[in-house]
Amino acid sequence: MGERHLLTGNHAAAYGAKLARAEVVSAYPITPQTMIVELLSEMVATGELEARFITVESEHSAMAACVGASAAGARAYTATSGQGLALMHEMLHWATGARLPIVLSNVSRAMGPGWSIWAEQTDFLSQRDTGWMMLFAESVQEAQDFVIWMYRVAEQVLLPGMVSMDAFILSHTSEPLIVHDQSAVDAYLPPWEPLYTLDPAEPRAYGGLVNRDHYFELRYKAYEAMDRARGLMDEAGREFGEALGSAYGPVEEFMLDDAEYVFVSAGAMTSNVRYAVTQLRERGIKAGLLRLIAFRPFPFEPIREHLAGRTKVAVLDRNMSPGHSGIFASEIRAALAGLPGAPPIFGYVLGIGGRDIRVETVFEVADDLVTRDDPERALYVGVKGLPIGPTRPGTVITPLEPLEGVAP
Amino acid sequence: MSEFKHVDEYPEIPVSTAVSSTILKTGAWRNMRPIKVESRSPCTESCPAAVPIPRYLHELATGDPAAAHATFTLRNPFPRITGRVCPHPCEDACNRTDAPLAIRALERFMGDEARGLPDPTAETETGRRVAVVGSGPAGLAAAYYLRRSGHAVTVFESRPEPGGMLRYGIPEYRLPSTLVDEEIERLTGLGVEFRTRIRLGTDVTIEGLEQDFDAIFAAIGAGMGTALGIEGESLTEPGLEFLERLAEGAAELHGERCAVIGGGNTAMDVARALRRLGATVTVLYRRTEAEMPAIAEEHAAATADGVRFEFLAQPRSVAKVPAGLSVSVETMRLGDPDDSGRPRPEPTGEMRSLTFDVVFTAVGERAEVDLLPPDLRGDDGWPAVGPHGETPNERIFVGGDLATGPATVVDAIAWGRRAVDAINARIGGGYEIPLWMLEERAEVIGPTGVNRATFAPLPRVETPEMSPEDRLAAGFTEETATIVAAAALAEIERCFSCGYCNSCGTCFVFCPDAAITWDDGPIFDFDYCKGCGVCTSECPGHVLLFVKEKAYG
Repeated sequence: MGERHLLTGNHAAAYGAKLARAEVVSAYPITPQTMIVELLSEMVATGELEARFITVESEHSAMAACVGASAAGARAYTATSGQGLALMHEMLHWATGARLPIVLSNVSRAMGPGWSIWAEQTDFLSQRDTGWMMLFAESVQEAQDFVIWMYRVAEQVLLPGMVSMDAFILSHTSEPLIVHDQSAVDAYLPPWEPLYTLDPAEPRAYGGLVNRDHYFELRYKAYEAMDRARGLMDEAGREFGEALGSAYGPVEEFMLDDAEYVFVSAGAMTSNVRYAVTQLRERGIKAGLLRLIAFRPFPFEPIREHLAGRTKVAVLDRNMSPGHSGIFASEIRAALAGLPGAPPIFGYVLGIGGRDIRVETVFEVADDLVTRDDPERALYVGVKGLPIGPTRPGTVITPLEPLEGVAP
Repeated sequence: MSEFKHVDEYPEIPVSTAVSSTILKTGAWRNMRPIKVESRSPCTESCPAAVPIPRYLHELATGDPAAAHATFTLRNPFPRITGRVCPHPCEDACNRTDAPLAIRALERFMGDEARGLPDPTAETETGRRVAVVGSGPAGLAAAYYLRRSGHAVTVFESRPEPGGMLRYGIPEYRLPSTLVDEEIERLTGLGVEFRTRIRLGTDVTIEGLEQDFDAIFAAIGAGMGTALGIEGESLTEPGLEFLERLAEGAAELHGERCAVIGGGNTAMDVARALRRLGATVTVLYRRTEAEMPAIAEEHAAATADGVRFEFLAQPRSVAKVPAGLSVSVETMRLGDPDDSGRPRPEPTGEMRSLTFDVVFTAVGERAEVDLLPPDLRGDDGWPAVGPHGETPNERIFVGGDLATGPATVVDAIAWGRRAVDAINARIGGGYEIPLWMLEERAEVIGPTGVNRATFAPLPRVETPEMSPEDRLAAGFTEETATIVAAAALAEIERCFSCGYCNSCGTCFVFCPDAAITWDDGPIFDFDYCKGCGVCTSECPGHVLLFVKEKAYG
C-alpha cells in the first residue's frame, strides 16, 4: 500500500523518478523546478537512488545527456520549467527521432519577458509537435504517479514523455502523498529492455544522415507508435489502479451524466473548477467537468463521447496560441469537427502569467457561458478594464511611453 | 537501408554499422592545425643543471622511478645530494602562485627511491684517459659523464677522502657523509679511479698530467678562506677549517661564547654546527638580513637553532682580553648599490665592543688559482674559461668554483657536465642525448602560458624536519627526512607540467570531432581535424600550439 507522507508536488515528482528507478538523472536548476532535482541529487549522493547524477551547464545539455544515457540503455529522467524547456527544444526532437523513452517533469511556468516564474501552460504546449507524449498532473499524487505511468508506456512504444505540473500551485503545495512500495512499482514497471544500446565492442552510428529516401518511413513509424500509445496508455492507466491503487486514464469525467454546460480544464486549476461545478449544481445549473489528462496522444474518442450533445462547452485555457485561440479550445474544436450533435465551443483564456483562477472566476465564466449566444474563438477573462470578451476589433497600437511606477 | 521497399522493413531508428560519417574527410576544411611541441618549463629554465623537471616527475608519478632517474641523470647525476642541499631556484620560478611545487623534496624522494639502480654505461670504451683534479661536485659530475662517454677517468683529491665541499664543507646534519660515500662508491662501480692525498702543485702538476692524459678537468674549488685584513686577525679561526675538522671528527670547542663573522652559507654552517656543540653563537654581518647571501632556509634554520644575529656590524679589530676575545665592532648603514647590486655598507663611526671566547671568519672563499699554469689565467688572475670550461690550452678544462668563485653544488654539477660535452667535442666519445631533448623549444612557458582553469589550489607538501630542540639534541644526525610516497604523488599532482605533455588526456576528451587518437599521448587524425583549436586552448601545460595550416601545406 505504500507510505503516506505530506509532500510538495516537486518532491512527489522526485519520488516518482526514484520509484521508477531512474538510472541517470541530468538536470540544470530552474525555478520552480529546482526542488525536484535537489532531492534527487541527495538521493543519489546518499545511495538511496542507485543512479548517476550528471550536472550540466544548460537544459540543452541536460537533455543531450539524457539522450546519451538512454541511447546507452539507461532509464533517464530530467526536470525543467519554462525557459529551460524551451532551451531543450532541439534535443526534444532528437529524443523522439532516436526513439528514446526519456521522461521529464516540467513545472509549467509563463515565458518571459515580462519575466515570470508563475503558472501557465504555454511553455509545455509549445512542445506539442516534438513527438513527446504529454500528460497534465493535477495533484501531488499524480505528480509522482504520472512519472511511473509514463515510463511504462514510453518504454513500450519507444517514445519520450513529459508530465506538466503547474508552477507553485502544484509544485510548491504540500498534499498527502502515498509513496508506493518499491516492490509494487517494480512489478508494474519492469526493467527496460532497450532495442539498441551503445557497445564500444560493436561500434554503430545511430541517427545518421538518411536523406529523402528514408526519412518519411522512419518518421511514419514514430507516428504509428504515438497512435499505438493511445491504447497502451489506457491499459497502463487501468493496470496502475490494479497494481498501485489509483487508476488513471486520458480524461477524467465529473458530474457529466446529465450536464448541459461542460467545463474542460487541465492541470492544477481543475480542483477549483471541480468545486465550482458542485456549487453551480447547487444553484440549479447542470454543470459538469471534463478534465484533460493526456494531451499527446490526443484522446479524440473520449472527448467526442463526452462532449457530443451538450448545450455549451467552455474550454478553460491557461495558455494561448496568439492569432488563434487557447490551445485546448482549438484542439477540441478540431476533435469535434463533423461530429453530429457537436456542441458550440466557447474558448476562455484565463490565468495567464499565474493570475489566480478562483472558484469565483469560474462562476464569472459560467455566467458568461450561459448568457452568451455565439461561441467565440477566444474570450479573455480578467483583463483589467475589460469585460469577458474577444479582443477588440480595430485596436490602435499606441507608441511606446515610459512606464510609470515600474520597479527598477 | 537503401534496399528497403516497405515501411515494415525499416528499423526504428537509422543505424549504420558498415559506414559512418568518416567518408566525409572534414580535415579539408582546416586552415589552422594543432601541433604538439614541448617547451621549457620555468623550473628547468632556472635550474643551473637544466634538469627536465616536469618530465621526470611525470615518470615518477607513473610508478617508474628508474625512468625518472634516467631522465634526471641526463643532467645531474646526484639527485640525493641536490635533493638535500640545493637552494632550488626552480621553486622560485614555479608557475604555481598558491605555493611553488616542492621540487627539492620530490628530487630527494626520487633519488632515494632510485638508490642502487644501475646507471647507463658507455657501449664502447674510447681508449681515452681523462684526469679530473678535485673531487667536489664539479669533479664528481664530470667523472660520471666522462665514464658514461666511455673514457677512462682518474680523479685526484688532496684530502684523505673524496667529496670535496660535499664532505668537508657541508655539515653532517644537512648532508650525511655516508650518503657521499655511497655516491663515491657508485662512481667507483662505474669504473672511476680515485687517487686521494694527491695535491696539485705538490704531488702532481697540470704539466705532468698532460703527459699521461688526453684531457684534464680542473675543479679544485674555492677552498681558501678570505682574510678580513683587520688587527688581531690571527686570533680568529677560519670557518672552513673548522668545518673540515668537524668532518674529520677532530673539532673541539675552545670556548662557549662564539662569534661568526659573515652572512653566507659557510657562516650559517659554522654557526649551526657550533650550536650543536653546545656554544652560544652570534653572527656578525655588515649588511642587513635582506642582503645576506646565505640560502633563506639556512638563515631561518640558524635563527630557529638559537643563533643570534647582529646586522650592520663590521668588525674592526680583535684583541685578547682577560675575559676572552674582544671584538671591536663599527655600526654601519646602507648606502648606494655596489658592483654586486646590493647596498654598500658605509661606516657611521659608532663603535662598540663585544666579548667572545672564539671568533670564526666566513667572509667568502677563494680558489688557489696559483696552482694553475700562468697561461690559463686571465688578466684578473682567475682562469680564462669559456662557457663549457674551455681554456687557452685545448686539453685543459676548468669548472666549478675554480671558474666562478663560490657558488652552489648544482652550479658545480652543471659545470662538470658542460665540461664533459666540451671534452667529448675535442677527444671523441659521448653519451646518448634523447631526441625529445633536442626537439624541445627554447621558449619558456610563463604563468600566463598554462591553462589555469584546469588547476585548483592544493596544499604544498613540506619536507619533514626535526624541531629545533630535537635537532640540537640529536647533534649531527640528519635533521630532515625524505617525504613518503603518498605525499610525493600528491605533490606531483600539483605540477602544472608546463610545456611538457604528461599524457593528461585533456585534448582527447575535448576534441569535438573525435579526431584525436591516443598512444601514450595525442595523435591527430588530420583527415578529420577541422582545426578548431579547442585542444590547443584546453591543453593544461601549453604543449599543443595552434599554427597556420599554410606552413605545413
